[in-house]
Amino acid sequence: MNKKRETESFLPLTPAMFHILLALADGEKHGYAILKEVARRTEDKVRLSAGTLYGNLARLESAGLIAESGKRPEVVLDDERRRYYLLTAFGRDVAVAEAERMEEALVQARVKKLFRKPKLA
Amino acid sequence: MEKQSQTLSQRMFRALMRVLPFDFRTNYEGEMEGVFREQQREVKERGGALDALRLWRETIAGIFTMAPREHWQILQDDCRYALRMMRRNVWFTAIAVATLGLGIGANTAIFSVVHAVLLRPLPYTQAQQLIQVRQTEKKVGVDDLSFSVQEIADYRKQNRTLAGLVEYHSMSFTLFGHGEPERVRTGVVSANYFELFGVQPLLGRTLVAEDEKPGAPAVLLLSYEYWKNNFGADADIVGKTFEMNDKVHTVVGVLPPVPQYPDENDVYMATSACPFRSSPMHTENRDMRMMEVFGRLKPGVTVAQAGADMATIAAGLRAAYPKYYPGNVGYAAEASPLKEELTRTARPTLLLLLGAAAFVLLIACANVANLTLSRMARRERELAVRSALGAGRSRLLRQLFTESFLMAMASGLLGLLLAYGSLELLVDFAGRLTPRAREIHLDAGVLLFTLGVALGTSLIFGTLSAVFSRANLTSSLKEGSAGAAGSGRRQSRVSSVLIVGQVAFSFMLLIGAGLVVRSLIKMQHTDAGIVPQRVLAMRTTFNWSKYTDDAASKVVLQKLLERVKAEPGVVSAAVSSRYPFEPEAISDGPEAVSFTFAIDGRALEPGEALPVSTYAAVSPDYFAALGIPLKAGRLLAETDREKAPLVAVINEAAKRKYWPNEEALGKRMSPDGGQHWGTIVGVVGDVREFGLNHAPVPEFYVPQAQNAQPATLIVRTVAEPRSMARALTRAVHDVDPQTAVTHVLTLEQARYESLASPRVTASLLGIFAGLALVIATAGIGGIMALMVSQRVREIGIRMSLGAAPARILQMVLSRGLLLCGLGIALGMVGAVALRDLVKSLLFEVPATDALTFAGVGLTLLAAAALASYLPARRAAGIDPNEALRAE
Repeated sequence: MNKKRETESFLPLTPAMFHILLALADGEKHGYAILKEVARRTEDKVRLSAGTLYGNLARLESAGLIAESGKRPEVVLDDERRRYYLLTAFGRDVAVAEAERMEEALVQARVKKLFRKPKLA
Repeated sequence: MEKQSQTLSQRMFRALMRVLPFDFRTNYEGEMEGVFREQQREVKERGGALDALRLWRETIAGIFTMAPREHWQILQDDCRYALRMMRRNVWFTAIAVATLGLGIGANTAIFSVVHAVLLRPLPYTQAQQLIQVRQTEKKVGVDDLSFSVQEIADYRKQNRTLAGLVEYHSMSFTLFGHGEPERVRTGVVSANYFELFGVQPLLGRTLVAEDEKPGAPAVLLLSYEYWKNNFGADADIVGKTFEMNDKVHTVVGVLPPVPQYPDENDVYMATSACPFRSSPMHTENRDMRMMEVFGRLKPGVTVAQAGADMATIAAGLRAAYPKYYPGNVGYAAEASPLKEELTRTARPTLLLLLGAAAFVLLIACANVANLTLSRMARRERELAVRSALGAGRSRLLRQLFTESFLMAMASGLLGLLLAYGSLELLVDFAGRLTPRAREIHLDAGVLLFTLGVALGTSLIFGTLSAVFSRANLTSSLKEGSAGAAGSGRRQSRVSSVLIVGQVAFSFMLLIGAGLVVRSLIKMQHTDAGIVPQRVLAMRTTFNWSKYTDDAASKVVLQKLLERVKAEPGVVSAAVSSRYPFEPEAISDGPEAVSFTFAIDGRALEPGEALPVSTYAAVSPDYFAALGIPLKAGRLLAETDREKAPLVAVINEAAKRKYWPNEEALGKRMSPDGGQHWGTIVGVVGDVREFGLNHAPVPEFYVPQAQNAQPATLIVRTVAEPRSMARALTRAVHDVDPQTAVTHVLTLEQARYESLASPRVTASLLGIFAGLALVIATAGIGGIMALMVSQRVREIGIRMSLGAAPARILQMVLSRGLLLCGLGIALGMVGAVALRDLVKSLLFEVPATDALTFAGVGLTLLAAAALASYLPARRAAGIDPNEALRAE
């Protein structure tokens, strides 16, 4: 019960936060990968800049929704050391709660005939 | 090229990053840069210049939208943490805030006065163009000769540098038609007076050229205060009529609530309406001087140019009228900025007080810095642990600054409250120094000053904590107690320097206060030359238009004296043109009542100045009423009537100055170039007429019967003089009910009032010095206690090696006294260096008065001994076994 309340205190998430959590849902990623994945998934509709990305990462990290992965980056072409981020269990709970919240809203919108048919069956 | 552009955009990106908090940057800068570089590469691969622009736009927008939140977050954390720390150290916080608050309060209060009086421009249009023109007779010591009607006309006509020149004098007239006959202070001014100053009327109009023409209907302009207090701000006042000087005066306007310079008046009239100013005696005689003159510079003209212009006119007058401007008086004219004129007396006192307040704040800062240092020593572990847990150094510094900032803001608020509370007192104080006092309030400028001072102090001790923490953070965890001991030594060295500084500044402040207080005491014990007890002075202004000639006024004065002497309880009564400690006489100084004269049979050397002296027209009992002793010859007598030979009684100062080695009695002198000769019939004791701090000047007492002058009634009574005031007023009205009785004052009151300004200065300086002493003493005590607690182990070792408790006591005590002694030595150097600042406020006390220096030094040493004694006793009581075991 307590945990649920804690989860809900983050809702609703901002679109940027939600997309970052989504991007991490299937595995740890470094910052640029998150940015690319969000852009790809939303067909460039959600474009994160370096600032918004790391501002959100910082907040998510301090809130315990994501964490830095222990995995060290391999040395890539440029010698930048990247950090990898992973979704914590708590972060997953929050993301799920947000998805549920959205679905509920969707259902109600449908009842009120606010949109025609689900695009994806 | 490629490389260069990359580094350029990289540099731009890094510059952009600077808007983010340091901590955030430390954490994410590298990664963000990496992401940005990837994005750029991507854009370049696609090759769109528009895309590149879009990337920049989004990046900039992104950083600027997130930056405030990050800063805010950190600030919130810091404040919360700082408040928690302050709550945990309530005593430290309270003492620091109180100490700084007192310091800031003192500064805010004094600055509000300095700001209003010295810094702000005068509240007039283009006030920097306003000047005062003054005539001088430097050779006879006259710095400010009034102007006569003819002189004003000459300066107005001949000057080439002024856009306008106006005259002013103030008189008291009796106003009828509004209840009891009322004495009103009347400013008599040129028609364009208010236009020149740029003052617009609140109601009606100001004076116009028509009003000043001879025979024009008399009109009055009311001051805002008079209109409000006496007519309840009657909106229909314009057009109402009153009787003054036997003429009907019509109110034509009301002035706005501007400060009135040079004096506060109830009403204003044009020069033609003043019966004295327009009398032939004044218009026809070049040396009937009573006006002040102000001017407005033409655009682009400097004060110096105007001064030269006035000097040229004066030279022309000297050549044209040698009879009025003899070479031996050194007649000249000069111009000075009006603002300087109005603040001349206030400036040295205010600057001294501001300096004193700044000293108090410095001492307070040093004390809080010491408190902070000793607290930092205790917090060293906490900070080291936080640092080890990953808080960046800059994060910790920011934290420390936030703490000092919050504390300084609290102190600033306290300081503002203190200043606000003392405002009324300050206005009253400054009112004795300058007519600008009423402009004093806590306005935006003062608030800004307070904020600045608070920020400055927070910066000072914030930096101190920061420097201290920087030096120690790294060492203390690693090296444990060894590092702490090293930093303890360094800290105690810094503390010692601060203590020495505190003592030095306290010493200087105490010297300043001591000198001023000693001057005040000397003044209070100065023999004024009169017996002021049970003497009442009341100014009696007759309706002068009824007593047009000398004879009539002499008769009414005679009647008045007879009637008053018949009143039971009156010992003696006299009338006099002025009396010792009369407030107006003190503010105007002896020059206002000075005259030059020739001595019979004594030719002047070429270039030698004419003898000059003050004079008073008195009735014979004046000397008895005031208790002025006769030294030689006789006093004035009833027989010295109008038709009798002209006589004068002089004081000893006049005898010393003009007849030092010969008999003065029987000598003749002439005030009007030989037309009339008076004989000196007596010599009386000196009187400090113009204030206790003003040495007696030569004085001639002439009979009222031979020189009728507006008079003050002086009555010596059997009982408490104030209880007689009502009966005496009735007596005056028995003689002439149209007489206004004002300025009822006992001579003891007048004497007390004459010291008001030095008394307030001494009190303020005394308060500041007292504050400094308390703060410095507390500082010494605190630092000695800290030293003892830091050296428990060392003391324990010394004692176990055989040092007697008395030896330990002596060690701590002597350390406290040594610091104090060093401070005193430094302070002494400072006090001697700054002696000129205080000189103008001293009276018969040298600025390096040995007694004051010794007294202050001993006081400080005693305070230091007392403050060190408690920690010393604690040190002497240390049990060596326990001290060693504790480590």
